Amino acid sequence: MDNVTALQARNLSAGYGRRPVVAGINFSVRTGDILGLLGANGSGKTTLLRALTGQLPLMAGTVTIAGIDIVGKPEKAKAAFGLAIDPGDLPASLSGRQYLELVASIRGCPADTWPCGDVIARLGLARWLTRPIAGYSLGTRAKTAIAAALLGAPPLLIFDESLNGLDPEAAWEVKCMIAELAENKARAIVISTHVVESVPGLCNRAIFLADGRILESWDATGLAQAAPTPGAFEAHIIGRLREHRSRVGQQLQENASAASV
Amino acid sequence: MQHDRLVLSLLWSDLRAALRHMRKGDLAWLILGGGVLIAYGIADIVSALSHHAEVLRTARIVWTVETPAAAASLGLLLGLTASRTARAKALAPFLRPLPLSLVARRRAALLATSCFGILLAAIVAGLEGLAGSIVAIDDPLASALRAAAAFASGFAVTTFHSLAGMRAPVLLAAPAHASRSGFHLAVLGRLDHATPRWLNAWAWRLPAGRILLATPWIVACVAVSIAMVLATGASVAARQAIPAAATATLGGIAVFMLALRCHPLRSPILRTAPVGFSRAWLRLMRLPLLLSVVFFSLPASAAVAVQPSAWPMSVGFLLMLFVLNAAYGVFAAYFATSPFTAALSFVMAVGYAYYESFEYGRTVLLGLAGLIALLWHQARRRYRHG
Repeated sequence: MDNVTALQARNLSAGYGRRPVVAGINFSVRTGDILGLLGANGSGKTTLLRALTGQLPLMAGTVTIAGIDIVGKPEKAKAAFGLAIDPGDLPASLSGRQYLELVASIRGCPADTWPCGDVIARLGLARWLTRPIAGYSLGTRAKTAIAAALLGAPPLLIFDESLNGLDPEAAWEVKCMIAELAENKARAIVISTHVVESVPGLCNRAIFLADGRILESWDATGLAQAAPTPGAFEAHIIGRLREHRSRVGQQLQENASAASV
Repeated sequence: MQHDRLVLSLLWSDLRAALRHMRKGDLAWLILGGGVLIAYGIADIVSALSHHAEVLRTARIVWTVETPAAAASLGLLLGLTASRTARAKALAPFLRPLPLSLVARRRAALLATSCFGILLAAIVAGLEGLAGSIVAIDDPLASALRAAAAFASGFAVTTFHSLAGMRAPVLLAAPAHASRSGFHLAVLGRLDHATPRWLNAWAWRLPAGRILLATPWIVACVAVSIAMVLATGASVAARQAIPAAATATLGGIAVFMLALRCHPLRSPILRTAPVGFSRAWLRLMRLPLLLSVVFFSLPASAAVAVQPSAWPMSVGFLLMLFVLNAAYGVFAAYFATSPFTAALSFVMAVGYAYYESFEYGRTVLLGLAGLIALLWHQARRRYRHG
């Protein structure tokens, strides 16, 4: 299968109120890509994902999902991706089964259409599905959000720190599913994560955000070169973070001394 | 679950979840106590209607204008509440990234609100028809239909207004920045400095030392201030202390109710800290109480100035203000996450106690005190044990 563009962001700026949090973002994701989104706390990862998924108005630029403009045709564009929402946002009064049925009804597909086998069984969710979400642990909520994102087998899957709180078996299972989904080049996956060491093994591309801008990006070859030994990629990222922080600190000091003069 | 019935299903699930989470004892109290109270209320109204039947039968304006007007007002109020609830469900955060159009959300919210509206209009028609039959007016059915139509009109107006104003579900503020900004007032920061520090700033979701500039607050403050000025003017003109002193008390309690927020009492930050319920509650009351007394002092001073001999009355009103504030503080602690419910319940409880006091005198106060003690006990238990 040929690679097609699943997601494209051009000169994207977005933020809250009048304050842009991310600016000048340009990248695209093609089917078969597993893109890792890295960055420190407050670097703009979640804001970027919110803007990409039409949850936040764009201040500038465009976002297209499978060629559909997210601003012009939001419903059509949203039908082309599955987002594993923040576990805290799940409707607590519904049961897991009801929530999945609701999402399936909105997506217009049966509530058991998965792109990679029986996701409920693979994530060990079956015994929880009849109970209200209010009684779920963080990990079970995260599994429910992941299952809902996969419903209807959309061509683009977005996970915002969705591996947090998963038990080791479920985290392993999700990583296997992600690899399977990208394998036949029918889907693209975007994962935002703080688990830096998992990126070279799991992703074939990566973007590193700092202060709302792309500081560095890697393709498959670059990622392999950046991680020649275990821990090398993590050390590289930490080094870039510290370098960026000291540069920003220096700039602030210079600005302060210029203002005092 | 079908998404066209999305809002109805979510509301139904919320109701079931709320009932499931209620302790059986609380539920029994609610059903028994509420049932007895409703039965008593109905009996009271039926006896009052029978007693005044002759006058009411001849007063056509009551059935043709006053009752429909009251029904329409009730419809406006309930329509606003129902449509806002439905709108909030249709725009729930978990639905934001899903391919659900604004039209579909509006339709789901409208379906849920219409179901409520039809049910409530039928209840209004039934009550009106029943009242008409008791009084034995000429055509109770026509009167019932008139009231239901008036209610439905009011309900529909606010529903359509509220749902037409529904906008695409996008975030306009980051959750981390969702606290409102307001403008700086240094004195508030200093007053909120007592330990535990910045409790009121947290309760108001404002940065410390800033106050909120929101339209409902401004309207409420302007209304209270105008009432104060008018009452003071009336006192000065009539050389009577009562108007200013009474308005000082009402204004004081209004300011207290507007300013008191108790949601931190439900937060694990306080509940797991070495701070007792009473201390946390008193600390939350401190700043609203100060504001309330400041508002009280202006017209109360005018009352003493125009009639110096009436100073004991002003002191009495001040004591009454403290008692009312403390009573509302208990309601606010019990309904910690919903100040609107707290205010509504408090006003209804005080209003009902006042109404019953005509028949039973001051003994009604014992019932009110018992209710407040029960709410205090429940709020403290929740604070300690979750």
